[in-house]
Amino acid sequence: MALRRKRGRKKSRRKVAHRRFSWPRFSWPRLATLLLVLLAGYITWLDYQVRSQFDGKRWSLPARVYARPLELYSGRELAPDQFAAELRALDYRSVPYPHQPGEFSRNRDVFHLISRPFAFWDAEETARNLRIGFDKIRITGLTDSGGRPISIARLDPVLVGSFYPSQHEDRVLLQLGSVPVALTDALIAVEDRGFYEHHGIAPLEILRALWANIRAGGIVQGGSTLTQQLAKNFFLTSKRTLSRKLNEALIALLLELHYRKDEILEAYLNEVYLGQDGDRAIHGFGLASHFYFDRPLAELTAGQYALLVGLVKGPSYYNPQRHPDRARARRDLVLDIMVERGLIESEEALRAKEGGLGVIQHGENAINNFPAFLDLVRRQLRRDYRDEDITSEGLRIFTTLDPQVQWRLEKILETRLRDLERGAAAGSLEAAAVVTSVQGGEVLALAGGRRPGYAGFNRALDASRQVGSLLKPAVYLTALEKPGSYTLATLLDDSPLSWTAPNGNVWSPRNYDKTSHGMVPLYLALAHSYNVATARLGLTLGIESVIDTLKRIGVERHLKPYPSLLLGAVELSPLEVTRMYQTFASGGFRMPLRAITAVLASDNSPLQRYALNVRAVVAPDANALITTALWFAAREGTGRALYQSLPGEQDVAGKTGTTDDLRDSWFAGFTSDRLGVVWIGRDDNKSTGLTGSSGALRLWRDLFAGFHSTGRIPPAVGTVEYQWIDPHSGLLADAGCQDGVQLPFIGGSAPLDSAPCAAGRHDLPKAIDWFRGLFE
Amino acid sequence: MKHTAAILCLAVCLPFMFTIQGCSSTRAVRPPPVIEQGRPATGRQPPLVDAERARQPRQAPEMSEQSPAVVALLDTAEQQANAGHLESAAASLERAIRIDPRNPVLWYHLATVRLAQNEPEQAEQLAIKSNSLATGSLLQQVRNWQLIARARRAGNNPTGAAAAEQQARELESRRVQYR
Repeated sequence: MALRRKRGRKKSRRKVAHRRFSWPRFSWPRLATLLLVLLAGYITWLDYQVRSQFDGKRWSLPARVYARPLELYSGRELAPDQFAAELRALDYRSVPYPHQPGEFSRNRDVFHLISRPFAFWDAEETARNLRIGFDKIRITGLTDSGGRPISIARLDPVLVGSFYPSQHEDRVLLQLGSVPVALTDALIAVEDRGFYEHHGIAPLEILRALWANIRAGGIVQGGSTLTQQLAKNFFLTSKRTLSRKLNEALIALLLELHYRKDEILEAYLNEVYLGQDGDRAIHGFGLASHFYFDRPLAELTAGQYALLVGLVKGPSYYNPQRHPDRARARRDLVLDIMVERGLIESEEALRAKEGGLGVIQHGENAINNFPAFLDLVRRQLRRDYRDEDITSEGLRIFTTLDPQVQWRLEKILETRLRDLERGAAAGSLEAAAVVTSVQGGEVLALAGGRRPGYAGFNRALDASRQVGSLLKPAVYLTALEKPGSYTLATLLDDSPLSWTAPNGNVWSPRNYDKTSHGMVPLYLALAHSYNVATARLGLTLGIESVIDTLKRIGVERHLKPYPSLLLGAVELSPLEVTRMYQTFASGGFRMPLRAITAVLASDNSPLQRYALNVRAVVAPDANALITTALWFAAREGTGRALYQSLPGEQDVAGKTGTTDDLRDSWFAGFTSDRLGVVWIGRDDNKSTGLTGSSGALRLWRDLFAGFHSTGRIPPAVGTVEYQWIDPHSGLLADAGCQDGVQLPFIGGSAPLDSAPCAAGRHDLPKAIDWFRGLFE
Repeated sequence: MKHTAAILCLAVCLPFMFTIQGCSSTRAVRPPPVIEQGRPATGRQPPLVDAERARQPRQAPEMSEQSPAVVALLDTAEQQANAGHLESAAASLERAIRIDPRNPVLWYHLATVRLAQNEPEQAEQLAIKSNSLATGSLLQQVRNWQLIARARRAGNNPTGAAAAEQQARELESRRVQYR
């Protein structure tokens, strides 16, 4: 029915059309002309497509993200095993005697290596022959192969990740000039012997393949030229249909018409599909070399070239990781062809056949091993670049990541959290940590969860948690910036407090140990984290002025002026806490926490540098005072568990944080070199059963036990003077005082009176005080 | 145009040459005497309880000997600045700061580069940073204040510049006194 109705309608329309013009009569020449015109149109369109694809952006190149380069110089803190780990991550090969870049030998604690050339933002490093001697914890000597001392050398940086576009194609772009001739010769010998003679298609080869296919009753041979294969990879889907074959041939002809053989070969080398790594497609020989052998193409052997060339026929069928026997047979076949074509000597082929495949097993390479850090890098990049530029322009991104610190952090997270969970449900605890350099604000390591290799919720950046006592230093700093009213020795009142808000609500903060400590010197009130003394101090100073201090030292979040803020009822991420403590650690300077130092374009031209910028926000003397109080906190206060296992005489300043019901366990602490903030909690916000010192502090301590800081905390400040103080009275002490401590004071703010215990010891200064008092 | 470039180079390089020499003179300068008043006489110190180090005087650490690595990077930075590559010079100085972050000389040079790049505000902040680390060296403090004065002048702050110059002069006269 429907059909008939349709016909009827067509008829009537035809009638209408008939009145306007007459349809041309059918004739063969006319049809041929029409087809020709259509074909010409199609070819023109195809030609346009081919050329715009080939000339324009040929490949979207993911951004490459590098760790900080390892600087080698005599005196540098680095253990020989750490160095060996770095070389492994850099894919340097251990050989008996290094003679090309990327090779090293180790004789106990002396390394001999030839570094790889590398283009950095500020300079290009050439390949260098280096001998590096170590003692247990540092480099003791750096010379060239002739024994002449070298002041400093910089290795190529570890590649820690890539930012892919959504389709997850990846490649390491090659230029034909840098591709070993052995590889291209082998490729041409195996895949397309007539490559330099044909015009894109080789009809004889196609006929040969057709004949083979007919005989086999199915498709067994391709007979495609390299150009056709490129056309297939580059422009078309992988369906094996006749129309696709025709298209492929057409495109191949067009490519040959417009481009030189070298250009086509280079494109092929970069485009050909050579494997799959999860959802990441391995394109091109450059990446395949890294993927299968963990080293650059130029450093491969003849046998390895043969293996890669053999893979072209079927990356999945000949996958050397899953089907080593097939891969070996294929490689040996390619080696035979190479001998037959005179590319290698038969002895070399024989040696290569005897050798193993040499492919790495996966999970070994460092690609995207640090998702939480890469997440931070990507967020910082997004401020300056569009997403598609990040994933497709082949940017080279130099970061501040210190793999040594990151590896250590990851190892400790894994083992320590398990220990801390004993008794509790396994796997219930989560953690986040940030480590930075004290003076540069460079993010050295970052963990967003207890399984740092797992890209999930990035707690270091996105978990907003109550910070508890971590906030208190802001209250005390606000006080210490008024040296006329407060010093470290000022006695604070820790007796019970009831504060009535304007709306009539009564606030009665209590100490963690539920007791009052009477009058306590300011530095001990912070060191022991007394809530009541802190609350009273904060209320006296005014909550708004504490908020002002917080803003000034780096807390950018909007804070509401509730009194509970004084005791840390404020939610911050570990990174925000780091920003705040960075100001204390650096001597009172605010600086952006940087994960990136520079960005280069894919051709190594400089795009952007993220420079070291500082801004003085706290006077050095006031900062020295708050740092001293934090030093006492780490030494005698809530952080005293620290000193049980830190090696050497490292100075540490830091603060624990514990929130209600033990939901969050924090520690923020720094040495003269590094700052670390650690958080432990649960994603469901239930109790962890841990305080700041029984949880996060232990993790921090294990992490920092691996570092060797030598600087003092606080550093000397010119306008600060030191006095012996009796902590009970807050007055000047002398030999008669059992518990005297030496405290820093901002010039002129030290107490003038002697403590009761110091009777008779300070006759002269006392007399002067009394005398001075007469005239005031 | 050529002249401006030459002056720029000179402005950056002069302090470099100055300091490489200056470093040795920095070490020669006697630190200002520590004021003894009020500290218990030797032999009469309070008994040291557990936190021994808390009770010890905390003095400025000796200014670290310039390590060869740092000297090499200073040389590189100087060459880069000479060639007009100021941002590369800054990058080399940052490398040096990574190695020796508490060395006030390095922060001072970075400040100089920033000033030459016409970033007076950052130059001043970096000079303040250098000052905060230069407790033991009056010479370095004098230089920093002179740089701050130049930065303030460049930033159209003549009053601030005059104050900084005054500060530099006072420190200089103290320095001469202690010599």
